[in-house]
Amino acid sequence: MRERPDRLGRILTALSNGSEAWTAARLCQTCPEIAGVTGAGVMLMSGDVQRGSVSASDEVSHLVEDLQYMLGEGPCVDAYRQDRVIAEPDLADPSTPRWLAFTPPALRAGVRAVFGFPLQVGTVRLGALNLYRDRPGPLNADQHADTLVLAGVAARWVLETQAGAAPGAVAGELEAGADFHFTVHNAAGIISVQEDISVAEALIRLRAFAFTSDRALTDVARDVIARRLRLG
Amino acid sequence: MTMTRESEVVRSLVEMADTLVDDYDLIDLLTGLADRCVNLLDVSAAGVMLASPAGSLGLAASSSEAMRLLELFELQSQEGPCLDAFRTGEPTGHEDLLAQSGRWPSFAAAALAAGFRSASALPLRLREVTIGALNLLSVTRTPMDEADVIVARAFADLAALSVIQHRASMQAHRLNEQLSAALTGRVVIEQAKGVISERAGITLAEAFIRLRAYARNRNLRFTDVAQAAVDGTLDPQAWGAPPGRLS
Repeated sequence: MRERPDRLGRILTALSNGSEAWTAARLCQTCPEIAGVTGAGVMLMSGDVQRGSVSASDEVSHLVEDLQYMLGEGPCVDAYRQDRVIAEPDLADPSTPRWLAFTPPALRAGVRAVFGFPLQVGTVRLGALNLYRDRPGPLNADQHADTLVLAGVAARWVLETQAGAAPGAVAGELEAGADFHFTVHNAAGIISVQEDISVAEALIRLRAFAFTSDRALTDVARDVIARRLRLG
Repeated sequence: MTMTRESEVVRSLVEMADTLVDDYDLIDLLTGLADRCVNLLDVSAAGVMLASPAGSLGLAASSSEAMRLLELFELQSQEGPCLDAFRTGEPTGHEDLLAQSGRWPSFAAAALAAGFRSASALPLRLREVTIGALNLLSVTRTPMDEADVIVARAFADLAALSVIQHRASMQAHRLNEQLSAALTGRVVIEQAKGVISERAGITLAEAFIRLRAYARNRNLRFTDVAQAAVDGTLDPQAWGAPPGRLS
């Protein structure tokens, strides 16, 4: 095991590569190199509510987050709820059978290993850092320890960025590149009127429809908004 | 220091460090610290003062009512061991309150009247930042032995650490709640746009304009109007075309 100062130095050097300001996007792009994975994403959650993705390094990472948002299960959701690191080094042959809805589409997208690291500052929990790899295998001890540091950096970045926001607003830097699924909420509002149900129930129906028709939640939401699709 | 006392001290430090991991009440922790000073060190009373963000000291915890009153007196007269330790960031050293040419004449008089005979104070300090002080009073004139001084130092350092960590944690909680509330507000507005778009047969963009205009005209909070739209309790006028406008 390397010494901690060396580890921190290495991570900070990677993050501050060049002179550009480092952001969640920069952090997600650094993860593959630091943790030996294919892609990474940062998901925000509060209470039982999944807020969405602050950043994702590639399309597959984005899908991994979207699936978890749609299905309410997966490594990030577990990492956040259970307040610990969740590792599935072989999604095709998992040691723990779980995520029955999440696993098939994730495998089809080429995900073979997934890891969720809680985002926390002290006792404050913010979400999770999501890693995936296109081949199976665990993180080694160094990669695991480095990712813990990265998750801590990401959590502090979220809070420090929000500290600069106007009262009642989400910080602009936090929203740039984020996907808080506002389209899905537009569609839920529309469905709640069409079907005379609560918005919460409309969200459930929207998710169920997307899952059973094997479509991306955002695509279904767009069709509802364009009035090309009516649920019920 | 006897073995039993040493193990008591270690146990106290471990217990206090443990409380830092989870959510904890700062005043409970500091009161516990003051009590431990009395139980484990050769002192009769202990008190903790903390600086406000503006930099003035205030009472945080005391091992007894007599101590609390004496510390209040110290604050009012702006003279005494806590204030010196806080101002200089250094331990005051032991002071015999009956000594002539004492450093704190009015404090000494009040402390003697309360039955104390000697006093000292340690700064609560983390590196260059002093955030308060630990006051230690004794009914005898004997100074603490060297082992006691080391333990007192450790208690003061741990107290400083817990206060700083607690403040950082409060700040993190506050920011997280703000972020959560802001995101909830945004989500409700997006849902309300969908609701009004469907009710009025208009685009999402137009729904947003009407909701915002309605909130502004009635001097209502936008998120409250949006929440009412989502709950189905919003006045239908809110999404009707504005009077005088061709639709």
